Amino acid sequence: MRKLLWFILCFVALPAAAAAINGTEILKKVDRNLEPESYEAYRKLIDIQPDGSKKESVLYTMKKGRDKVVALFLSPPSDKGRVTLRDGDNMWLYMPDVGRAIRITSLQSVTGSVFNNADIMRIDYGAEYSVESAEEGKDGYVLALKAKTGEVAYDRLKMWVDKQLLLPTIIECYAASGLLIKTLRFKDIKDFSGGIKRPATLETDSPLQKGYKSVMLWSGIKKADFPDEYFTLNYLPRVSELRK
Amino acid sequence: MKALRELLRLWPLALLFSAMSALAAEEYSFDASEFEKKPFELGGYVELKQEHFSFNRSGVFYKLNTFNQPQREHLDRTTGTLQLTGKLRQGIGTFDFRTNSSLQRDQLVHGDDHAIYDAAYSIRPNPGFTMEAGKRALRWGKGYAFNPIGFVERPKDPNDPQLAREGFWMANSDLILNPGGNLQTIAFTPVLLPVGGDVNSDFGTRGHLNPAAKLYFLYHDIDIDFAWQGKGSRPARFGMDFSTNVISNFEIHGEWARIRQITRQVTDSTGRVTTSVGDATSYLLGLRYLTESDTTYIAEYYRNGTGYSEQEAQQFYQLVNTAFTQLQQTGSPVLLQKALALSRGSYGRPNPGKDYLYFRAQQKDALGIVYFQAAITAMMNWQDRSYQVTPELSYTGVNNLELRLKVFMLQGGSSTDFGEKQNSRKFEVYARYYF
Repeated sequence: MRKLLWFILCFVALPAAAAAINGTEILKKVDRNLEPESYEAYRKLIDIQPDGSKKESVLYTMKKGRDKVVALFLSPPSDKGRVTLRDGDNMWLYMPDVGRAIRITSLQSVTGSVFNNADIMRIDYGAEYSVESAEEGKDGYVLALKAKTGEVAYDRLKMWVDKQLLLPTIIECYAASGLLIKTLRFKDIKDFSGGIKRPATLETDSPLQKGYKSVMLWSGIKKADFPDEYFTLNYLPRVSELRK
Repeated sequence: MKALRELLRLWPLALLFSAMSALAAEEYSFDASEFEKKPFELGGYVELKQEHFSFNRSGVFYKLNTFNQPQREHLDRTTGTLQLTGKLRQGIGTFDFRTNSSLQRDQLVHGDDHAIYDAAYSIRPNPGFTMEAGKRALRWGKGYAFNPIGFVERPKDPNDPQLAREGFWMANSDLILNPGGNLQTIAFTPVLLPVGGDVNSDFGTRGHLNPAAKLYFLYHDIDIDFAWQGKGSRPARFGMDFSTNVISNFEIHGEWARIRQITRQVTDSTGRVTTSVGDATSYLLGLRYLTESDTTYIAEYYRNGTGYSEQEAQQFYQLVNTAFTQLQQTGSPVLLQKALALSRGSYGRPNPGKDYLYFRAQQKDALGIVYFQAAITAMMNWQDRSYQVTPELSYTGVNNLELRLKVFMLQGGSSTDFGEKQNSRKFEVYARYYF
């Protein structure tokens, strides 16, 4: 009788387990839907001050694999030619006037924006975070993510994911103390062709920088493959020659 | 009918909303096509700088530099600078340049200066290999204020380490490999630097083709360089550097260099110069730390292997004072000529001492004002305890405009490094517009 009861319980429990949400799988799909593993893209960063004045920067970005990113500043003229490089947890900034690269950290912002270097040189969420829990709501999923190492800019993320599109809509970024550092809002879903359909606008604000807001706009994102050599310190002065 | 009237009444409001949303859409429009790579690019900046010098009239360098001029307490200098940068692309080749032109005016001198900082043609046959020839400002080393392994570059100004500098004419190449695993990158940079006639004449003795090379590794997330320069216009030298993040917001770096068989001249207070030949070792240890509140601390200790100890420097200062006493009492300029010659050599370098401590703290968005930065820099000659403190304010909140204000305050007794410099205070303000 007891064996029969176990048998029935297993039958009931198995489909339930299969139906349980696989947060890691969702995060993997979110990463790939946001952008191909290797791609090039143009981005405009708009930093809006409380008085409404704005500063704009335009970047050309190349990403390779899960952890290599290069971003070249094309505008404004004061930043033109600056290059940031990320290789895993290592980040560098090359300034043409200085003529060499210095190490920088993910928490800094090279533009003076609400976006920091970790946002500007973001690699796959799955490369930096583990899924602690996943909940299913009416319109989407809510993922609770925890940084895999102490090197990551935000200790925890709370990510709201659109159920149909499997794209993030809102991400809250928290420090280890539990303090909300910033909120990222993904908007304006756009078909970039080549099978890339993703938000073209990312807005952010921070309770730590009240009244300030930053916006990131995407354009010309497409799959691309790059040699590893492009993602090295010696190549940074020549990154501007790589654009077509 | 009433509904229609109601609708018409709301129409201006609807128009306003529609205009607002159109404005919002326009606000966030971005078309990357306007940023396509062009065959020719030109940019740069114009700068207007005003400096006010307060002279240290008892300092030996004030005496040496101004003994044949009217004596003054202050000097005001205005400098206008135009720096142009550009690129010309064709096929696999790129020609890039940086020129610097300045016009200077003070109560003593009106002058202008024009220099080519960079002008080099490079070709890239494949992603891992680049060849280059022309004038190039290479930057070797990881130190912020000092670079003992900066073998093929003009010395950095520790008072403004981020300033662009004039390069040397050379041929160089870059070979990059990515073996993978813990050895993430290998890069090899050989350099040939000729010195002859008017070419690179300030590098060293004429008639040499100077070889140099740098080998870079990114190993276990540590940047490591090995640098070498062969014997030629300057004595042979070799060295290494490293830089790594201990934790994400805490970086450490170091440099070590050994110069072989360098000639060193040391004077005593009577002007008797002893020349010795031997190896000299310089090194630097430093750190950079970023706090959660966006304060960056940079600290460095620099051991200058070719520098003068406190006692050696004191002998030179005594020589200068004796030379002026002799000139006043006997009218003989013999000793003064000796002192002047020495001051134009290694005694007159910006940092002639043996041990220096460098410290800088900079606060981003100071006083809660975005793009406003406050910083303070201190540099101390560790042996004689003389120092220089430099508070600094800068603002970059207006598009393409950089405003900076700096005050240099030098402190030290007589016969000390900073106590004998030409200035006791310097006030500097500039506006730089990028285009």
